[in-house]
Amino acid sequence: MTPEEKINYPVQSIAALAKATVVAVVIATIVLVIAILPAEYDVDPTGLGEKMGLTQLAPKPKVVASQKAPQEKPKGGFMSDRVEVTIPAGKGQEYKFHLVKGSRMLYSWDSMGIPLYFDFHGEPDGDTTGYFESYTESTASEVKGSFKAPFDGSHGWYWENRTDEPVSIILSTQGQYEVIGLK
Amino acid sequence: MVKFRFCTVALLCLLSSGALAHGVDDATRQFLQNIEGAAIAPFLYIGAKHMVTGYDHLLFLLGVIFFLYRPKDVLVYVTFFTIGHSLTLMFGVLNGVALNAFIIDAIIGFSIVYKGFDNLGGFRRILGFQPNTKAAVLIFGLFHGFGLATKLQEFKIPENGLLENLVAFNVGVELGQFMALAFVLVVLSVWRRHSSFLRFSMAANTLLMSGGMMLVGYQLTGYLLA
Repeated sequence: MTPEEKINYPVQSIAALAKATVVAVVIATIVLVIAILPAEYDVDPTGLGEKMGLTQLAPKPKVVASQKAPQEKPKGGFMSDRVEVTIPAGKGQEYKFHLVKGSRMLYSWDSMGIPLYFDFHGEPDGDTTGYFESYTESTASEVKGSFKAPFDGSHGWYWENRTDEPVSIILSTQGQYEVIGLK
Repeated sequence: MVKFRFCTVALLCLLSSGALAHGVDDATRQFLQNIEGAAIAPFLYIGAKHMVTGYDHLLFLLGVIFFLYRPKDVLVYVTFFTIGHSLTLMFGVLNGVALNAFIIDAIIGFSIVYKGFDNLGGFRRILGFQPNTKAAVLIFGLFHGFGLATKLQEFKIPENGLLENLVAFNVGVELGQFMALAFVLVVLSVWRRHSSFLRFSMAANTLLMSGGMMLVGYQLTGYLLA
């Protein structure tokens, strides 16, 4: 006995099947075009998604940092670096760059799957009070991003290795900066 | 009035499982990436949650059990689905096979359209015979498993304790599936006692097809835009 014999569900006529398929396509198309695509992707062929405010839900397209050198060239010019930073077991380590206000840096670092506590921060030039501004403070093993310096000063990462073995990080940077290096 | 009430209940069941679907929140992502060694209970939980909140898997299962009257049949079909997705989930993660998530999710959407059409007797009417329903469940199960494997690999789970965590995730998926199915089965078996069931099975399976088509369109658009 095949399983099919046990399941006695109605076999619809060709006309009913065609009707069901058309109805399914029409409903799916309407919902997709006026709701799902505007809300998920900001794709809004009818303009209704915008009117209903659905397009606000769509994730904003990622801002791709420009790789081109800027017109006004701040000191340092366009740099591209890749460096390996080793954080000793149970210790913290800083690696910094000097950026003038408004200049940009594209960065990524990767500790090969070993999570590290880090603080991406900046200290203004000439400050003696110990003031610093944190941009990101988290725990991760891989971070990519772009950064626009809010003030002239040294900007960079403090990583903390809470494991009992040294951890190597590959840090890649591009942009207008001067390398300060380990601190 | 009664039929409308049952129709509403069924629709609510279809919709209530939505919202999160495949999105894994940031806290879970952090946890997955920072994990060290075996973490059985958390992976059980993530697996179960993924299933209970994964409307695409649930819609497909709803289609599969729509006309299964006997608990034994439900068990047999769900077992085929489980074998299918367990195989590809384990194989995919252990061998680092990750297919494009949009394409896999579009195929999962298509599996819902297929099952809805099958439930209307579409294949029997057009082809003159019933394509093997167990084979269909098994094959689509394989795709659902690749979907799960692709999602899991996005988190780059550390190698340490990977197998234990993977087994725990898979068992969690089964637990979640079981809980969701129990819920759907109760609603379906109550609904089946009313004459509205057969009258509305046409509408219900048309809606199922439509839902599958929405998923296909949603995922293919994502693929084209990516």
